[in-house]
Amino acid sequence: MAEIGVLAAETQDRTELSALLGELGHRADPAADLAGAVESARELKSRAFLVVDGGGSDAEILTRELARAFPLLPVLVALKTRDARRAVALMRAGAVEVVAPPWTREDLKACVAKSLRFQGTAVSPLRLAPRRRSAVWYGLAVGAFFAMALGVASLRRVERLRQAAAARVDFWDLPVSHPAGLAFDGKDLWVVDWFSQSLYQHSRSDAKVLGLRHLTAETPVAEAFATDAVWTATADGAVVRRMKDAKLTPLERFPNAAPGAAGIAFDGLYLWTLDARAKVLRKHLLDANLTVLSSYRMPGLKPVALVWDGAALWTLDAGDRLLRRHNLDRPEEFFAAIPLPEYGDGVYMPTGLTWDGERFWTVAERRDGKGPARLFRHRLESAR
Amino acid sequence: MRRTAAFVAVLLRFPPEAARQDAWGRLVVLTSGGAELSTAVRLLKGEGVLLSFELGGERFEDVRARVEHAEDDQDGHRLAELRFLDEVQRRALAKALTDVLARS
Repeated sequence: MAEIGVLAAETQDRTELSALLGELGHRADPAADLAGAVESARELKSRAFLVVDGGGSDAEILTRELARAFPLLPVLVALKTRDARRAVALMRAGAVEVVAPPWTREDLKACVAKSLRFQGTAVSPLRLAPRRRSAVWYGLAVGAFFAMALGVASLRRVERLRQAAAARVDFWDLPVSHPAGLAFDGKDLWVVDWFSQSLYQHSRSDAKVLGLRHLTAETPVAEAFATDAVWTATADGAVVRRMKDAKLTPLERFPNAAPGAAGIAFDGLYLWTLDARAKVLRKHLLDANLTVLSSYRMPGLKPVALVWDGAALWTLDAGDRLLRRHNLDRPEEFFAAIPLPEYGDGVYMPTGLTWDGERFWTVAERRDGKGPARLFRHRLESAR
Repeated sequence: MRRTAAFVAVLLRFPPEAARQDAWGRLVVLTSGGAELSTAVRLLKGEGVLLSFELGGERFEDVRARVEHAEDDQDGHRLAELRFLDEVQRRALAKALTDVLARS
């Protein structure tokens, strides 16, 4: 509540304004002239003046006088007639606020409140228009900030997951301990186990065993799927062509066609065998004797497996722990080598290799012979 | 930004097509690029307005401005953010503001 001096020549104006101020919780000290208003303000310690302009009184003069007598007290002017230029003139004369007619409780409340908290204009020659935004704008800004933070966090999480996935090596332990080769029939993986003389059919998605073929008459060491046949190489150097049926029925046997065989591959025209002992790659004609057309000395420490990926021959080197892509015209040369960090710890020794159209797969046995063999699915980055 | 002891009273005029009465207000902030205006009249965002005021003894008549933002303050008055549109007027205002500040 504030003590406010009301200066109006007409009684009706004083009464009306006093009533409005009373409704707003202020105490009005009405006066009919300047002397009365000054006297009243000195006695009652008024905090502001409300002066009526018109009706026999000139608020411009009154405002100047009051501002001179009470320089720290705000003066409000209530216009009896709306006139914007007059209002500006009154403000220049010292009125803090000017209330337009008709005088309402709301207008008067706002003007009195502003007058009691009066501040001058802040000026600057340099800045552009000041920015004032609504709470909605600030809400949006805060929301945008959190959205950006969330986005950054999501991107980081995606990157972290990607790195984790890249660092992860897909592998499965197998129910065999002595794998010698690996093949892919277009749908499933086949692990050749020389110890149990068997071919294990595994699901490509989870390495689950789907089937088993015992080859009781031979010791398989390598296998390759062609369009119309299955080729297997045996430990005694024989190559067997088989029917692509459930039993892998033998069709033709080629004794001593691939001595020391560790890998076998079919490129659609020629059969290729890898002699691990002699470190020699042989190219066979598909005739009655699988005639060797040419032999190539293999690079590396210990080539142990061979695969045709549809475009090139690849060998797996267990000594160097890498894959080599060979020049088909001069297979003794290679023009790409992909390291296999999965074998970096030396616990497993790779023995078989295949390509499923997307990734390389290898099978390996433990070097200490204690424990199951392991099937590795290599990362996409390792692909061609 | 320096706050003066007095405020700048402003006469507000509107383009003829707005068909609005002249009004008045006072500047809370004044820069060469724009101003914050406190007034009882209801200004709307995007609205054009002409400002007349006196600064440092120099009169500025019909300074063209546009309401960039407007909201009701805690007292029920309208607090409007204005942007001055005329480059010549802006330069003149910058000069007057510099003079005022140099003297204060």
